[in-house]
Amino acid sequence: MRTRAAVSAVLASGGILIAGWQSGVHIADTSSSVASGAAGTTGATGAKALGTDGSSGTGTTGAAGTTGASAKAVGTYAGPVVQTRFGSVQVQISVRAGKITDVTALQLTDAERKSVQISNRAAPLLRDEVLQAQSADVQTISGATVTSDAYLNSLQAALDAANL
Amino acid sequence: MQPTSELDGSALKARTFGSMGTVISLTVPARALGTAVVPGTAGDGERELDAAAAAVERVFARADETFSLYRPDSEASRLARGELSLRDSSAGMRDRYADALSWRLMTEGAFSPERTDGVLDLSGIIKGYAIGQAGEALRSRGIADWCVNAGGDVLVMGSPVPGSGASWAAGVVDPLDRSALLSAYALGGPCTRRALATSGSAERGDHIWTAGSCGAEFAQVSVAAADIVTADVLATAIVAGGTAMLHRATEGWDIDVLAVRRTGELLATPGFRA
Amino acid sequence: MNTQLLTSRPEVRRRSGGAVNPFRGQHRRRLLRADLLTVLFWASLAGAVALWLADGGMAGFATVAGSFTGLGIVAGLAGMDLVLLMLLLAARIPLIDHTVGHDRALEFHRKLGKPALYLLLAHGILIAIGYGMAEGLDPVSEAVALWVLVPDMWLAYISMLLFIAVVVTSLVAVRRRFPYEFWYAVHLLTYAAVLTALPHQFSVGGLFAEGTWQRWYWLALCIATGAALLYYRVAQPLVATFRHQLTVKRVVRVAPGVVSVEMSGLGLDQLAGSGGRFFIWRFLAPGLWWHPHPFSLSADPVSFDAAGQGTLRITVRNLGGGSAQLASLKPGTRVALEGPYGLFSTAARSRNHVVMVGAGIGITPIRALLESTPFQPGNATVILRGHSESELYLGEEILALCQQRGATLFHLTGSRPAGVRTWLPESSARAGHRLASFDPNVSDADVYVCGPAAWAQSVLQDARAAGVREDQLHYERFDW
Repeated sequence: MRTRAAVSAVLASGGILIAGWQSGVHIADTSSSVASGAAGTTGATGAKALGTDGSSGTGTTGAAGTTGASAKAVGTYAGPVVQTRFGSVQVQISVRAGKITDVTALQLTDAERKSVQISNRAAPLLRDEVLQAQSADVQTISGATVTSDAYLNSLQAALDAANL
Repeated sequence: MQPTSELDGSALKARTFGSMGTVISLTVPARALGTAVVPGTAGDGERELDAAAAAVERVFARADETFSLYRPDSEASRLARGELSLRDSSAGMRDRYADALSWRLMTEGAFSPERTDGVLDLSGIIKGYAIGQAGEALRSRGIADWCVNAGGDVLVMGSPVPGSGASWAAGVVDPLDRSALLSAYALGGPCTRRALATSGSAERGDHIWTAGSCGAEFAQVSVAAADIVTADVLATAIVAGGTAMLHRATEGWDIDVLAVRRTGELLATPGFRA
Repeated sequence: MNTQLLTSRPEVRRRSGGAVNPFRGQHRRRLLRADLLTVLFWASLAGAVALWLADGGMAGFATVAGSFTGLGIVAGLAGMDLVLLMLLLAARIPLIDHTVGHDRALEFHRKLGKPALYLLLAHGILIAIGYGMAEGLDPVSEAVALWVLVPDMWLAYISMLLFIAVVVTSLVAVRRRFPYEFWYAVHLLTYAAVLTALPHQFSVGGLFAEGTWQRWYWLALCIATGAALLYYRVAQPLVATFRHQLTVKRVVRVAPGVVSVEMSGLGLDQLAGSGGRFFIWRFLAPGLWWHPHPFSLSADPVSFDAAGQGTLRITVRNLGGGSAQLASLKPGTRVALEGPYGLFSTAARSRNHVVMVGAGIGITPIRALLESTPFQPGNATVILRGHSESELYLGEEILALCQQRGATLFHLTGSRPAGVRTWLPESSARAGHRLASFDPNVSDADVYVCGPAAWAQSVLQDARAAGVREDQLHYERFDW
């Protein structure tokens, strides 16, 4: 009987956790970046290699402009891949003593020009819908991104990295 | 909204740096920098941009040094600790305090320069001022087309395509799905509104709400105005003051507002309508 | 000394294996309930974490700071869940009481205390580190900043201190140094600790933000827990007290230092069959009323008429504290009661055969159980243990009941052999007696044990060695 309780408890808890996980994944599809975040140390060495080259970079990636500052970075963090009008962009920031010292584009391709679908909710008090836009159509993004975490995951970071 | 399809990846140049606990981005059309820029080479344009970015960074650094409560040696921290009285503080501090007080009166208390614990906290107004000053610094360097974005609060001048008269298109993030845009707003160019500020009721990595937002009606409020301080203060005030403050703001100021309720419902002025 | 006073009549003695077992259904249902409660326990913990996952909690692990914060949030949620479960375990909810028994529920409650505290401490520390890293502050400055800047956080800090105080005073080593009343008073602070912990969760916890599932889930959980506590620990006792209108009828001296308190009241027919189960009594006399006494009935309630008017009896030994004063109770004193609680009753039966083992004052619930629990003549064995015959309280009544119902009775008297861990007196232990010696059917019997904790553990060990399964063992702890 104890076995029955243990098995049922494991199955029930496991099911609940998986259900929670599943419904959480689509809220933050950044969960895929968990792995890249965990591999932060590898990213850091990569950033150094990229950064030591100074201002020279290739035109296609636009990843130039990273200065020697990144060599002193204590931690580097990679954000999720975000679709912009430049294609998919992945941003990496370097943080030292809680301050952002560097922003780099890790991934910048023209390959997938997938557009981000925006949600289009009509307000009951409105006769019409609000102006629509896709991240490919704008030059800047307004939104409360107060912490460096929030910035890292923001569309603005992707735009900035693309324009570096 | 102006079509922006003529823009391509090389048309804009950006610089970013961290200050005041957030990230500040300066975006400038490559052509506005005078010299034709070949992407990837550190031409005159790049140097000019670096210099402009450094000027903007200095503006923010100065404001941070004076007003940041996170720096124990800042004037604001000494005021908070009671080591310094307002009468003995700098003129800048007193001016900002007077401005904040007048905003408090105008917003009937929805915006306040004091924290719930009574400590003077001008951070709600300082970021806007710093953005505005950064804009002045850019203008004084002869740059007529630019966009400054400080933690999601935007001030622009001119156009992303110099001489075209096109507006800057600013997207508004969807608070329920931060990887998508909820809406957009045209800033600068022919439009009188040059500033767009967005306040949310979730901060500190979404786990902690800001003071005073307990039971906030709105998840996010965006305000477009002619100047960034007005936009920033009113966005903050509407998050704190709810629907009543929203209506006061739209009646009393020439602004456009897009507010998102916690339920996901939208409230918007005509400027945000399609 | 070791005396067999009665041998049950051989003609009715039969193997219980072939007989119909009337307790099989109730036993199966009880085990099902126990498994269900186990599943609910783990599911509630999983649910706490799952709701966080559903909110996209894993996204925070993209950064080091976010990982600390994320772990901190999970620790807080799990800790809160454990605290609520602890309160539910102590709420005397009939479902729990009928399934695992009050004492077992409290044992589990105690076991959860330290893990809950560790989780809450981890919550505070990890969040301070996580936020501190995100803002470039050391954890201590961040903790101060949270205290000062975030509304309701100061209450959370107070809550943390209260939780620490409650758990520390409940540690066995600390608890023994203080009187029960002190521990009880500190333990009441748990409610303050939970109440001061709630505001920061609902006002600043992003996960509990308005309009989210999480908010409703946790709100419902908190309200349900509060309601269960109020209903079962306040409302029910008041109702029982007014319904039964108990007053002390007389106090009879049973042995030196041992008295039986007889009480008369109304509606006692509703309590029939609760012989052996315990109530919490408060004798509403000056200097006594505030002291709760947990005592088992030493006889099944007797009612005289259809209105249920009748008498109840408890038998108590002077164990210190308020129980010394019970000998001087005046007839007519009003009595408040809570209960009945516990599984030391027929509700726990699973087999035809029953073995009842009692020592000292623990004999008294055995007496009540023997009176009321059903068995065929020859299917019950009663073993009474004491230093001397005079310590076999209610011995004559038990002898009479055994004769009447056909149970085998053993008196085991004398002191324990030095240096040996046994529940038997020296002579018996020397002779190599075991529990199975007194009843060869013990492996297929329900074994009820009541007595001092160390002695009872010894009996239980013997029973397990004789092949008695865990779900056949029923024991009442006699310490708080």
